Amino acid sequence: MKKSFVFSGSGGQGIMSAGIMLAHTAIDMSKHSTFLPEYGPEQRGGSAKCTVIISDDEIISPLTKKCDTLVAMNEQAYAKFAESVKEGGLLVLNSSRVKSGLDRTDVRVLAVPVDDVALELGSVKVANTVIIGALIGSTGIVSKEVFIKSLEDKFKTKKPEVLELNLKALEKGIAYGESHKK
Amino acid sequence: MEKRFMKGCEAIAEAAVRGGCRFFAGYPITPQNEIPEYLSWRLPEVGGAFVQGESEVASINMVYGASASGKRAMTSSSGPGISLKAEGISYLASAQLPAVIVNVSRGGPGLGSIQPAQSDYLQATKALGHGGFRAMVFAPATLQEAVDVMYDAWEYAERDRGPVLVLMDGCLGAIMEEVTLPPMKEVNFNNTKDWCLARVDGREESHMITPILPEPALEMLNKFKGMTYKGWEMNDVKVEEYLIDDAEYVVVAYGIAARVAKEAVNTLRAEGIKIGMIRPITLYPFPKMSLDGLDYDKVKGIIDIEMTIPTQMRDDIELQVKGRCPVYEYGRSGGMLLDDEGVLSAIKEFIKEGE
Repeated sequence: MKKSFVFSGSGGQGIMSAGIMLAHTAIDMSKHSTFLPEYGPEQRGGSAKCTVIISDDEIISPLTKKCDTLVAMNEQAYAKFAESVKEGGLLVLNSSRVKSGLDRTDVRVLAVPVDDVALELGSVKVANTVIIGALIGSTGIVSKEVFIKSLEDKFKTKKPEVLELNLKALEKGIAYGESHKK
Repeated sequence: MEKRFMKGCEAIAEAAVRGGCRFFAGYPITPQNEIPEYLSWRLPEVGGAFVQGESEVASINMVYGASASGKRAMTSSSGPGISLKAEGISYLASAQLPAVIVNVSRGGPGLGSIQPAQSDYLQATKALGHGGFRAMVFAPATLQEAVDVMYDAWEYAERDRGPVLVLMDGCLGAIMEEVTLPPMKEVNFNNTKDWCLARVDGREESHMITPILPEPALEMLNKFKGMTYKGWEMNDVKVEEYLIDDAEYVVVAYGIAARVAKEAVNTLRAEGIKIGMIRPITLYPFPKMSLDGLDYDKVKGIIDIEMTIPTQMRDDIELQVKGRCPVYEYGRSGGMLLDDEGVLSAIKEFIKEGE
């Protein structure tokens, strides 16, 4: 099994760290994974995109034109990359920002109001954790328990509230993902 | 052996430290900035020194100085910065000083783009500087290979007394993969090595490094170096030959391009097409024998795939093919990346043409 994920949005939305967290969790589950970032020269704003490949076997090429799953965190990313999802693939939209209608009928769409969910929890910074929750809930690509371990590891030097908030964000995301699966 | 999920630039920086590097000087340029960033805190931990130079020219000359004092020294940059260092690299070659240079290459020419490309093959293999010297050029395709190459780069640099180049591209610099890190090498740092600028007890003469050699001495040096380069061709070629025994088509690709190409080779093999790949790991010395030795009664075409337009390795390939079959080329450039679909359909087109 080999699956490719593209996270896209703008700088500051946690695109890169979402990709790294997902790849890291896959590695922790003894799978193979590559994380490839692409970004412009901007320090903030600008477009951000990363590709994560997760596989049971060694990954030969980390470059792929089409992905199995696309996460589009804003309108521009959606417009630019919606076409890159494989037929029958999954398109996860941040419906707080992506308002345009979808013109592809050959992919599954999971709309999650990521920004609204994150803000309701207390911080837009956990938007990317909501997204990973949604991916775990809808695809089961990595295990929730192992992901929680990597969250604990990532935030071990931060105040405990940070981890707590991320765990809540993860649960919310998983709920959205699972509802989609049904 | 220690496994870590690391970013390319950081992995080779750590491999350099473990391979004995104790001096770095460089000047920032994307996409290699994580190398100096990492070494800025890592080298002091092991008693080494990190300098952010005021320019590329200053940095390569600091490497020259550090190497003359017996330290394992390196610098890193990307295409435009390597061009600026060209003079210093040539001086290192002239002074017969070991050093390791990393080029994490990007789109060119000129300022080019900050996105990945393989546009520096000719610069790396033919003329890293003026004056007709050569450097061994290693082009890893995975982070593990990059770590292994970096770890041993000084062994070659010191054995043959000169600069060694590790040529990566922006993809390999930025990608994160799992790597196994080798143990820290025990390296004896002192100024008693033959190339060091010092008067040492027990040595007959002090070693002097001078840019001014009388003409006959300079010619002697060049003759000696010429023999060294011949020796590399005999002994130091590294190459991966993949499924070439029965191949009717052979892809030639290195670095990141070879990874995309290998995926295409596997797909085509599954469709029953007899295709294989030759992947140079050393770009200089070039794996001449692998190409020259193919069975041209069977081989119908050679396909050169590089992340640059026009392709640059093609001349080296054609010198070995000697017109015995057609050579095709496919590339992307300027920071536009190769991808699986593009490479696969290009190869299919060439095969259709060849049949």
